[in-house]
Formats: sequence, structure tokens, C-alpha cells
Amino acid sequence: VTADSILFWILALVTLASALTVILVANPIYSALSLVMTMVGISALFVTLGAYFIAGVQLIVYAGAVMVLFVMVLMLFDLRHELQAFTHGKFSGAVKIGAVGMLAGLIVGAILMSSGGDSVAMATPVVEGDQTKVLGKILFSQYLFGFEALGVLLLVIAVGAVALSRSKGGTHAKR
Amino acid sequence: MGQDVFEIAINSVKLIVVFLFMVQAVPVLVWLERRGSAFIQNRFGPNRVGPLGLMQLLADAVKFLFKEEFIPQKGVRLLYYGAPVVALIPATLAFAAMPLSVPLQVEAFEMMGRSWGPYTFLIQGYEIGVGIVFVLGVSSMAAYSILMAGWGSGNKYSLLGALRASAQTISYELALGLSIVGVILMYGTFNLTEIVLAQSGSLSFSLMGNSIALGFLPNWGIFYQPLGALIFFAATFAESNRLPFDLAEGEAELVAGFHVEYGGFKMLLFFIGEYGHMMVASALMVIFFFGGYQIPGITVAEVQAWATSIAPTATKASALVSLLYFASFFVKFAVFLWIFIQVRWTLPRFRYDQLMDLGWKTMLPWALGNTILTAFMVYLAHS
Repeated sequence: VTADSILFWILALVTLASALTVILVANPIYSALSLVMTMVGISALFVTLGAYFIAGVQLIVYAGAVMVLFVMVLMLFDLRHELQAFTHGKFSGAVKIGAVGMLAGLIVGAILMSSGGDSVAMATPVVEGDQTKVLGKILFSQYLFGFEALGVLLLVIAVGAVALSRSKGGTHAKR
Repeated sequence: MGQDVFEIAINSVKLIVVFLFMVQAVPVLVWLERRGSAFIQNRFGPNRVGPLGLMQLLADAVKFLFKEEFIPQKGVRLLYYGAPVVALIPATLAFAAMPLSVPLQVEAFEMMGRSWGPYTFLIQGYEIGVGIVFVLGVSSMAAYSILMAGWGSGNKYSLLGALRASAQTISYELALGLSIVGVILMYGTFNLTEIVLAQSGSLSFSLMGNSIALGFLPNWGIFYQPLGALIFFAATFAESNRLPFDLAEGEAELVAGFHVEYGGFKMLLFFIGEYGHMMVASALMVIFFFGGYQIPGITVAEVQAWATSIAPTATKASALVSLLYFASFFVKFAVFLWIFIQVRWTLPRFRYDQLMDLGWKTMLPWALGNTILTAFMVYLAHS
């Protein structure tokens, strides 16, 4: 047992525990905060894999920006009605059963697909030197189209969000 | 962490020392702030306890420890107690990644019947290859302690203050991140130590075949990135919730913002967090734009040669060099901390819409423009 594997197990347990808390806790604020913890845990796992840049970006984008907005919005709303609607009733029950089925299928599929996993050796990273530079070069050469298309997609989403918020009333409505 | 027991022990102690340096600087800064504000506003400030009122810090610490412990009736226990603890983490983690001086070289020596190999100790908590990304990442966690405090207090003023503060932090993080992109483009690295090393010597660069050298100026980032430095410094004020951006507190509207319900030591932890952010911001300012620990007009090798000529052993010479460069870093660092304090007691507070306009409509476009301009200049300089 090496220090690395101990670290991995601690981080994996923390990440899994907080991920489970996200779905097992009734209070949405606690759910969101646990999700933040999950993101931090995943970022730490990236560090143990040597992917420092991805770890940092995971921290900045998901834990630092996206989840802060989630938590803020949750704090602004009174979610008692939504909670009631989501925890009771036949429709939400059906959705839950469907979700469980899909998750079970995913897990079974993953186990079946990975039956030959032993033959795949733990590959050492092929990248030498500055990983961030290599990542940047690949993104802007090999995957340039996908990268730019994602950028355009995000822009469309931002414009759409602004348009929706202006048309449906509220503080930013068109006068 | 290290190869043998000695190196691991020293590296662990170093982490604690960096943390204590940050925490122990807070009372001194509080004293400086109170005396400084009194000086600016033509008052006396604390001057009764001890010489120059310096013992006031001790009295304050005792007061903070012995205050009555209470929790608001409608508060959420876990979040209420968790928030001050979380407030300390981002600033501590970020500050430990700052290179504070040149590495200390320790020669091989004999101790307890065996020889211990030569070591190199970095004068920083830990070195991280992607330093800038790490610092930005952990700093962005600061919003959670504010949100947890606001929600956990069960008080509407707290919640409003927390929402304001976190909205402001997120908005200015964009301008902050973009203003650093210019620095990253110029030096081509995320590593803070490499950025500091790139700023050694005197100002000289080549542009379109002409080499330009200005020997009387140091090779500092501020001369290449003046706009970036300005935006970065302004954005850090908003990030650390200091005046003129302390909308989170706004005592005329929100009593005291997200920490209304906090008293005693829990309040002090928030204080340490805020001052910690100030220290991280000042350290980053020094590292990105003012040459880090470099002393202008003299190189590390020259200082090393001088130290070797007067010190008995190489280890002591190296320690002297590290100490000198730490002093150089500390002087620059202190100047920026003083600017933080001076600005707080000079400028009035912004209105909330002015704050958001400044962040989104002024600083963000200028930072973007700076990025594009820097990219062009880097392309021209390298072609």
C-alpha cells in the first residue's frame, strides 16, 4: 500500500460520499453544497492523476462559478412547493423509477464492457513536459472545429437566456 | 514532500510557518489600519494600551476569545459554524503557493551520527506547476463561506449581504482572470516562480527587429502590462470585499452584511479571511507586475557572490541571500497592503448598479482589449 493509493481511496470515498449526499438529502441547499464538495473531490482526483490544469479549471469553472450561481439561486427561492411536488405524486415516482432503471443499466453496461479491464495496463501519460501547452496545441489544431463550435453554442445559449429573461417580465423586461 | 525525514519535516514545518505568517500579520494589519485611518481622518486611534497602542492587538484577541458564544435561533447550526472555518481555507491555500524568496541551499552536514544530503528548500509553502490556475481556483471558493454565513445566520440582512457579496465576487472574477491572461501570454507560463525569474535584469525587449533597452528601469511586468495591472488591482479590491467595493457590508442598508450575526472569534476568522485575501492580492500584484522578490539593479548571482564573501559557510551565505530577497519581497508586499488601507479610508462606496456597470461594462471590455493587444504584440515580437 503506497501513499498514493491511500490518498486515492480517501479522495474517492469523500467524492462518492458527497455525491451520494447530493441525492439523499432533502434540503436543496445542502444538496448544492454537497455537489460543490463533489466537484472539489473530482478536482483533487485529477491532481493525483497529474492533470493539474484540468484540476484547476474544474475548480474555477464548476466549483467556483457554476455552483455558486446554483447556491445563490436556491437561496433566493422558497422551494417548499417544488419539494412537495417532487417528493410526492405518481408522476415524479415514475420519473424516479425510470432514472433508477437507467442508472442500473449504465452500471451493468459498464461492468460488462470492462470485463477485460485487466489486460489494459496502467498507461503512463504520453505527454512530456508542459501538459498545458500540449493540451492547448491539440485543442487549437486537431479539435479546432469542435472547440469553436462549442464556443458558438455557448454564445447562442447566453443570447437565448438574455432574450428569455427580457420577454417574460421581471426586472429586466422590455419597457 | 521530500526524500528523507529531515526534508519532510522541514517542508511540513514550512507549511505551518507560512500559515502562521499570514495569520500573525492580521493583528499588525488591523493595528496599522486603525492607526492609519485615524491618521488619515485626523484622529488619534488606539494609543492607550502599550507603546503606540500596539498592545491593543493583544487586548482585542483576549476580548474576541472571551465573548459570549451564541447562535441565532433560526440559524442553521452546521452552516453557521462552518462558514468562518471555510473563510480561512481559500486565502491560506493561495498564499502558501506564493514564491517569497530565492530557494535556500543547504549543504551536506552531519547530525545524529549520519550525514544528511544537500537540500534545496523553496521559500514558499509548496510549488505548483500551474500556480496561477491554482490560485484562481482556490480563491473562487471564497464565495461559499460568504453564502454559508448568509444562509446559516437565518437573518434576511445577512442573506442579502451574502447574495450581494457573492454576485460581486463572481462578476469581478471574470475581469480578474482576463487581466492575468496578458501576463500569461507574455511569459508563456502558469508557474509563479518562472514569472518572477522572467522579470530579472533591466528593461529590454525586441520588437519587429529593433531591440529596445532601457537600462535604468527594472524588467518588471508593469511596464509591459500597465492596463492589466490596473484592472487586476481594481478587481482584487472587489474580490476581497474592501472599500470602494464593500457593498456586502453597506452598514447604512444592511447593518453589517453577511456577518451581522457573528461575534467573538467567529467574526475574527472572517476578518482573517478578508485580510488573507488582501495579502494574496498584494503578493500576486508583486509577483505579476513588480518583479516578485527581485531587487532592481542587482542580480541574484551578484548578491550570492557578496554573501559568500562575508559568510563563513555556503549554507549561511544562502540563508543570507534568501533573507535579503525575502526582505525585498516584503517591502513591495507591504506597499500594496498600505495602498489597500489608504484606499479604504479615502474613497466612498459605489452604488450597486455602478459597481456592476464598472465590472461588466468597463473592466471586462478593457481586459478583453488588453488580451487581444497583448496577443498581437507577442505575435509581432516572436515573428
